[in-house]
Amino acid sequence: MPKNRAAIIGVGETVFRKHHPDKTYVELAQEAAVKALADAGLTMDAIDAVVFSMAPTQFMGVNDADKWAVDSIFAAGKPFLRVHTGGATGGSALHAGYAHVASGMYRAVLVVGADRIAETPDAQHILNLIWDRFYEHDVALNTVTMTALSTHRQMHFHGTTQEQFARVVVRARRNAMKNPHAHLKGIITIDDVMRSPRVAWPYKLFDICPRSSGAAAVVVAHEDIAKEVCSRPAFINGIGAIANTVFMGDRMGPSADTEMSEIPEAAYAGREAYAQAGITDPIRQIQVVELYDPFSSTQFPQLESLNFCKRGEAARLSDEGAFEPGALLTVNPSGGTLCTNPIGVTGLVRVADAALQVMGKAGEAQVPGVRNALATALGGSVQFATCTVLGADSV
Amino acid sequence: MDVHVMGVALHPAALRIGDKRLEEVVFDTAHDALGNAGISRAELDHVTIAACDELDGRSISSMLLAAPAGAYLKDEIKVTDSGMIGLCMEALRLSSGRFDLGIVASWNKSSKGPLEDVMRMRCEPFYTRPIGLNMTIADGLFAQAAGEAFGITDDEVCATVRAGYERAALNPRGLCRAVPAMEEIRASPYVAAPLRKAHQAPVTDGAVAIVLASGRWLKKHPGARPIARLSGIGWRTDAYNLGNRRLTGFESLKGSFGAALSMCGAKGFADLDLIELDSQTGYHEAAFRRALGLPKSFTVSPSGGPFAQNPYFCTGLVNAAEAILQVSGRAGAVQVKGVRRAAAHGCHGFAQQGNAIAIFEGV
Repeated sequence: MPKNRAAIIGVGETVFRKHHPDKTYVELAQEAAVKALADAGLTMDAIDAVVFSMAPTQFMGVNDADKWAVDSIFAAGKPFLRVHTGGATGGSALHAGYAHVASGMYRAVLVVGADRIAETPDAQHILNLIWDRFYEHDVALNTVTMTALSTHRQMHFHGTTQEQFARVVVRARRNAMKNPHAHLKGIITIDDVMRSPRVAWPYKLFDICPRSSGAAAVVVAHEDIAKEVCSRPAFINGIGAIANTVFMGDRMGPSADTEMSEIPEAAYAGREAYAQAGITDPIRQIQVVELYDPFSSTQFPQLESLNFCKRGEAARLSDEGAFEPGALLTVNPSGGTLCTNPIGVTGLVRVADAALQVMGKAGEAQVPGVRNALATALGGSVQFATCTVLGADSV
Repeated sequence: MDVHVMGVALHPAALRIGDKRLEEVVFDTAHDALGNAGISRAELDHVTIAACDELDGRSISSMLLAAPAGAYLKDEIKVTDSGMIGLCMEALRLSSGRFDLGIVASWNKSSKGPLEDVMRMRCEPFYTRPIGLNMTIADGLFAQAAGEAFGITDDEVCATVRAGYERAALNPRGLCRAVPAMEEIRASPYVAAPLRKAHQAPVTDGAVAIVLASGRWLKKHPGARPIARLSGIGWRTDAYNLGNRRLTGFESLKGSFGAALSMCGAKGFADLDLIELDSQTGYHEAAFRRALGLPKSFTVSPSGGPFAQNPYFCTGLVNAAEAILQVSGRAGAVQVKGVRRAAAHGCHGFAQQGNAIAIFEGV
């Protein structure tokens, strides 16, 4: 039970695309910060502290780029820190912002970040460097091959097909048509996905997220401020996070605590967040989820781990249209990570897009009657997970 | 603030830890802190890590290092500013009502690679990188500006450095190096005028971990015995660009100090018994003293500070550990008598863009 309740009262996102040649890194962060402040109806004078969301800086080429951004996001003179948990960074940054307010030390906090993944010609080369120098670099592990291996197991256990994964991509790109910030969008078919170039079996090019550049920000405020300045805040009713071992071999087999193909980290994080938010029947209580899904195979195990359906059922429900906008559960109405992946802020984008749904500000992507929305983020060797439950009512 | 220190551990100081991988350094230190607290890893409900990918030599270094720090299947978060900012994050988490018992761990195996190459890559690419700014040059600019603003002389800096080494020589947790002669310091070459090589605290390898608990957890565990209370904490950042106002304003240092004092109900330095300063050079200690208004008689860095050990990224959290040892009467040969309230300082970024202060009280 938090000592002080917190809510998101402002959201800002830039357009996401491969390159932003017209802006520097810090100008991108500034654009998102200004938009979030304007959305909250606050000026920077009302912000007590700043949390910066930024994962590996090797993509954009400036170590500790957050320090460079301090002036541009108006943070000089304020408490400031940077959070970095790999792909889960944005989710963790939101949790850090929440802790600022829940602790009672600060009343309003700006959580902001930016990334420029395509500054490097080969992001997967950079992502090879996250692995062990002696044992893993040379076997060409990167985030694509890593999750392809896990997807093998998912297909083996549940009989999931490549076409079922392809349907996820088709839905994501179509949903993104209604999101003005999304990077990839459009009407494509399952055949288009199946015919796209093979990258690492079972992945084809369209099964994989793009390298995005852009920025996102949210304003997290104490409940008292939220009620005063915001007609429909998104209350942060539950947070959960977990770190698992880096070693994928230790996450499979009879002696393992967890099974990697199930993304069990989402179950741990979700269980904690649900308990705080009073979520006992997720499929009935939550209307929208914004899942961290950089690959077409990342949605199903998360939906199952988060108890939206039984293990092995998500692919069939997807085929039946259960995850379309306004259906049983609206999954990634923004298009999700499959359409937009600025890694250092992707988790924050998930939270921001979920908050927009609760706040009724999602524009054409708005799902009617959203009372609870959930956002996840995954990082490292899919070993880090965060889960955030947002609600129209404070719990 | 209702946050309590249950245990603390420092990895044995070394210029280079050559017989362990970094994960072993982290594991040993976290394990020792838990042992010092008498708490098992299973009891922890969260872990806070403070580490730097670039200094660890690996992208997302917490992938490998979260588990050795105690975070296997725990709620874990990592900050990248400095070890002291890890303590700030930990204080927030424990105060939020969401967590009750955690560990904050930080490390720096600075011997793994050239520190200045990492620092040079911290420059933005348009103005500062082309002119070759690095940590030493930033500290030189600081020394120039602060020296002029405060009238700090080379003699004073040399004496400050020598005094730091003298205190450090007594600290069993430091490197216990020979104390250099004044002439030796005075004769050392300039690295970025007016900064001399001997003015700088040499970087070392090291790690530190602190186990902390909420007051709520303590009430539920009446048999548990904290060794100190974290009674105040403050952190701030300054502007990135190294203009004269930035170099001589000390706004983030003074803001952090004021916030921490205010939180613990202290009116000023007179309500403190000592402060462990993160003085990367002799110029820094001389300037920090003046900026904070500390009189010459005030006890600064009895541990020797960075001249005892200087695992750059986590030196501030090492200072926090030393302050905890002081208020708990466990500082050994560098123990100051009758310490009830001690402050620790950490800083990071070019010319100390960010500062943090933590205040500990005896229990």
